[in-house]
Amino acid sequence: MKQFLNIFLFELKGYLKNKLFIGITIFLIIAMTVAVFIPNIIAAANSGSEDKKSAVMLISSEQPGVVQLAGQYFEEAFENYAVTPTDASVDEIKEKIIKGEAECAFVFDSLSSYTYYVKNLSLYDTNTAVADAVLTEVNRIFAMTASGLSPEQAQAIMSVQIESSVLPLGKNQMKNFLYTYIMIFALYMVILLYGQMVATNVAAEKSSRAMELLITSTKPVNLIFGKVLASCSAGFMQLVALFGSAVILFNINKQALGGNIIMQSIFGIPIGLLFYMLAFFVLGFLIYAFLYGALGSTTSKPEDVNTCIMPVTFLFIIAFFVVIFSMTSGNVDNMAMLICSYIPFTSPIAMFTRIAMSTVAWYEIFISIAILAASVVAVGFIAAKIYRAGVLLYGKRPKLGEILKTVFKKQGTK
Amino acid sequence: MILEFKDVTKSFGDKRVLRGISYKAESGKTFGLLGRNGAGKTTAIRILMNVFPCDGGEITIDGKPINYSEIKLGYLPEERGLYPRKKILEQLVYFAMLKGMDKKSAAAAAEFWLKKLDMYAYADKRLNTLSKGNQQKIQLITALCHDPAVIILDEPFSGLDPVNAATMKDVIKEQIALGKTVLFSSHQMSYIEEFCDSIAILNAGEIALYGDLREIKRNYPRNRLVISSENPEPIIRDFGESCVMNGKNSVTVKLKDPSEKQSVMRRIAENYDVDEVKVFEPSLNDIFVEYAGERE
Repeated sequence: MKQFLNIFLFELKGYLKNKLFIGITIFLIIAMTVAVFIPNIIAAANSGSEDKKSAVMLISSEQPGVVQLAGQYFEEAFENYAVTPTDASVDEIKEKIIKGEAECAFVFDSLSSYTYYVKNLSLYDTNTAVADAVLTEVNRIFAMTASGLSPEQAQAIMSVQIESSVLPLGKNQMKNFLYTYIMIFALYMVILLYGQMVATNVAAEKSSRAMELLITSTKPVNLIFGKVLASCSAGFMQLVALFGSAVILFNINKQALGGNIIMQSIFGIPIGLLFYMLAFFVLGFLIYAFLYGALGSTTSKPEDVNTCIMPVTFLFIIAFFVVIFSMTSGNVDNMAMLICSYIPFTSPIAMFTRIAMSTVAWYEIFISIAILAASVVAVGFIAAKIYRAGVLLYGKRPKLGEILKTVFKKQGTK
Repeated sequence: MILEFKDVTKSFGDKRVLRGISYKAESGKTFGLLGRNGAGKTTAIRILMNVFPCDGGEITIDGKPINYSEIKLGYLPEERGLYPRKKILEQLVYFAMLKGMDKKSAAAAAEFWLKKLDMYAYADKRLNTLSKGNQQKIQLITALCHDPAVIILDEPFSGLDPVNAATMKDVIKEQIALGKTVLFSSHQMSYIEEFCDSIAILNAGEIALYGDLREIKRNYPRNRLVISSENPEPIIRDFGESCVMNGKNSVTVKLKDPSEKQSVMRRIAENYDVDEVKVFEPSLNDIFVEYAGERE
């Protein structure tokens, strides 16, 4: 136990002192800070151009009455513009726009036909769409009053509002999709990144032959458990640092972000779900890290690690995609997901997604976590055996079958 | 203290790596474990270090099975290795702690050894910034830092310049004087002859030769004569098959019976043009080649 602690602390210190580790964490926090404050920056930029309100929109028509009527509605519809009726000719209007005296102009042939003049038509120019909507309404009201309704009646017909409310009795996938996605993606990234680091670390110890001393100083079980738990803790600390600063940033900037539906959904994670996240993160991380550590021990060179860990990486990527496809399809309780939520290698993300986005009975969660936890222990001890056999092997990488043979043979003779 | 291997066997799969080896090593003395690459030395050392158990036989200290929580072992591996990118003091303390020391005494011991070997200036440097010789000194410290009772040195002198080799020698001699049991493995026979009181030569997993080094040499059959001559042709002609050329002007003659040594010497001196006739004294190198070579 004492040796395990020594190894755990040494490895953890190695992570926390690693400049890359620190650098990535700081970079992500800075990137997040910038992202969070972008709405403020945009708002500030917009407030600077608040004077745009006096941007001039000219309206003119040769038909009498049209300008007066349209102007009345346009003033309401285009809050950011100073809607200005004019008698100027089309050529004069064009010149004004080119000179910048006016930003745009509507020249009406009738209430149902106009030409829109603007200097440069921006991609985001919605003025014609707004104008179309306004004019459609005006025309309809005209048509209705023409057929005998009073203007008030016509107005009332046009402004009927539908009231509705949606009450999901289970989970609201619209709301929880985003944070589930973010959490699963975080889990995915952390497991792949740290799993690879564990494998590389083991292989590096073999290639630097530090293993010769380690293996003669302590038991392989201590080594692999110390390493895996240290990387798990380091990964967890990084996640806590990132999510923690995200929450702090959100709260600092709540005013600007609070109204944002996306942000609201991201930070509206129920606390209970965080506990499930924690459980599935730790167990999922451990099961993969043990596999990665065991595989890393079968190579002698760090450059061989990538090919060596490929099978496990693929396994995890497939699990990830099953979950993502199910999430986007809207049905997270399909057969594949049901099966995946009990297979220890896929349940960390599959079951978590179902808990977050669907309604899962407590005993289902319990069974899934129990299977996963038991598998973590089993995989841990098998990994320790592979590791023990692997670390003493140099030269040619043994085939998976050969490794398993030595592992189970040793178990048999013990 | 007596460290004893009793009929230790070990197989990996179908390969029998150790076929029952037995030897004793005493404290205050140095025991040489010799053998060619693949003879089973590293396996024997690893069994001693408790990396894996032996299949049969046992290793005892003073007649009792080794209690690894009590007996400390220090190991200088043939394949040198530490963390190349970690600070020296940090990893020395780590390895000493893995051997059971607490942090404070581990740090004190590491500093003591760094100072003793003139390496204290490098305590906060990374290992890979050091020269190879200096890295070996650090490696030696990892073997000695926790004050082990049994010290296993696998090729301790390989790659050392004469100055560093002299430092290493002094340290080893000091440890022997302190009553430590030193197990020494090397291919450099001059060092074995200098340090070892007794040796065992391993060949294909078996002890081919074992005993006190001086006795081995003394008991080596004195049945060969080495003759130096400007003109060895007539000797070769007369002694025929029992005669082997060593070089241009040197011939070895194997006697049928060691007791005829003097008469043959006299005969050669009287009848041929020779510069020197003497009884062949084997070096450890010769003994090694003879016992560690391919088995017929």
